[in-house]
Amino acid sequence: MENSSDMALVLSRVCARFADEKKKSAPAIKDMTFSVPKGSFVSLIGPSGAGKSTLMRVILGLMPHESGEIVRNFSRPAMVFQNYALFPWLSTLDNIAFGLRMDGMGRKERERIAREKLREVGLAHLEKHYPAALSGGQRQRVGLARALAISPDLLIMDEPFSNLDTITSEALKADLLKIWRSYGMTILMVNHLIPDAIELSDHVLIMAGHPGHIEKTIPINLMRPRDTRSSQFFKEVDLLTEDIRRTLS
Amino acid sequence: MAVVATIVLILAVLGYFGSVTWPTLGEAVLHTTYRLAFAYGIALFFGISIALLVGWSPFSDFLFPFFDVLQNIPSFALIPLFIYFFGFTSQMIILFAVSSIIWPILFAVLTAIKSAHKDLSDAATIFGATGFRRIPYYLAPLSFPAMLSGSIVGIAIGWEAVIGAEIITNVAGFGEFIKEASSSGITQASIAGTFAILVIVFVVNRLVWAPLLADSSRRYAD
Repeated sequence: MENSSDMALVLSRVCARFADEKKKSAPAIKDMTFSVPKGSFVSLIGPSGAGKSTLMRVILGLMPHESGEIVRNFSRPAMVFQNYALFPWLSTLDNIAFGLRMDGMGRKERERIAREKLREVGLAHLEKHYPAALSGGQRQRVGLARALAISPDLLIMDEPFSNLDTITSEALKADLLKIWRSYGMTILMVNHLIPDAIELSDHVLIMAGHPGHIEKTIPINLMRPRDTRSSQFFKEVDLLTEDIRRTLS
Repeated sequence: MAVVATIVLILAVLGYFGSVTWPTLGEAVLHTTYRLAFAYGIALFFGISIALLVGWSPFSDFLFPFFDVLQNIPSFALIPLFIYFFGFTSQMIILFAVSSIIWPILFAVLTAIKSAHKDLSDAATIFGATGFRRIPYYLAPLSFPAMLSGSIVGIAIGWEAVIGAEIITNVAGFGEFIKEASSSGITQASIAGTFAILVIVFVVNRLVWAPLLADSSRRYAD
């Protein structure tokens, strides 16, 4: 991947620190260098505690970086969270319309868009429900609809399938691919499941920890749509698993 | 509550409260309740406003211990100060009660803001609840359950503050009423007055706090 205007995101030797529970500053990510092409689907794989979530927060400007350069060729980022992060005081519809409301859009228009997104994720019948009344899968779909509602050009997803059962996550993955194709946005997804990364991604970034850094970028050259039961797919999973094991050992 | 009501009813039927001057008692309880309601309104407004502003500001970590020190000053030790500035007046009692009620509300809201899940805070930022808009669209609704629990605790402390101040200052109210009754040896008046306050607390609980708590737990349950 090269640094150019075709990139949605370029990080060059980015370092960031975070304060631990004792308020001591510790390095979280170091010399982080990678780029994400516009319109691509990139997965970030790494062990727990490697600083993946910190990296996402740095990319979104939610926490500062102390050195290095970040080129953000996107104007409207959105994020889907591992723990959904839906606002419990708002109904499903109002959660989805939240970003549009903050943009100053009128009630009628933002509710029309929110209903449209709710239909896209298959939850049109739940617009008046509060998050507490939804299942994990439904909450994650609402989180996805909330992100889509603001028409993002970069969608960051932090382990979106990790709290979901297999059937729900399979369905959500299929919907996510459909949405990605139709919206043409860039997706950067933190993941810890290698088959998911291969099924969805154009590139896989392998991250190692202490402090977090990118060890390797691996392109996934399988043709889309990808058949997750094909021998080619299993072969790719084996190769990547072995590659990650070697890289991180 | 039903047991207490039954006991009081039996005592009333047996003529135990014969010596109680009910209109005086009613007026005293009304004075105290009005002062408490007024003090709660002021404490709620300032408690929430201060907590939201502090929670919103980048100085919340610095200000939290400062408020903790302030809230630990014993309220009743401040009574001479309140009397000095406001005299033996109803306003003095109300402001004194505000100084007691405000802390549980302020700390409940502040703690709710500080302990909110980082993802929720990030989501609010990413989807545009930044700057001053963060207060009405994120921090205020986030702290609604804390505002409820802080209010319930604050009002319980408030009864004590208002009645205590009335006893100390002899300003007309339930505190002054039971002080007079006790010095005259009429314990029935104190029991009847306490029951009247229990009825008010019970009614407010059933009509205000119970529905709000039910709504809060329905919406905010994880």
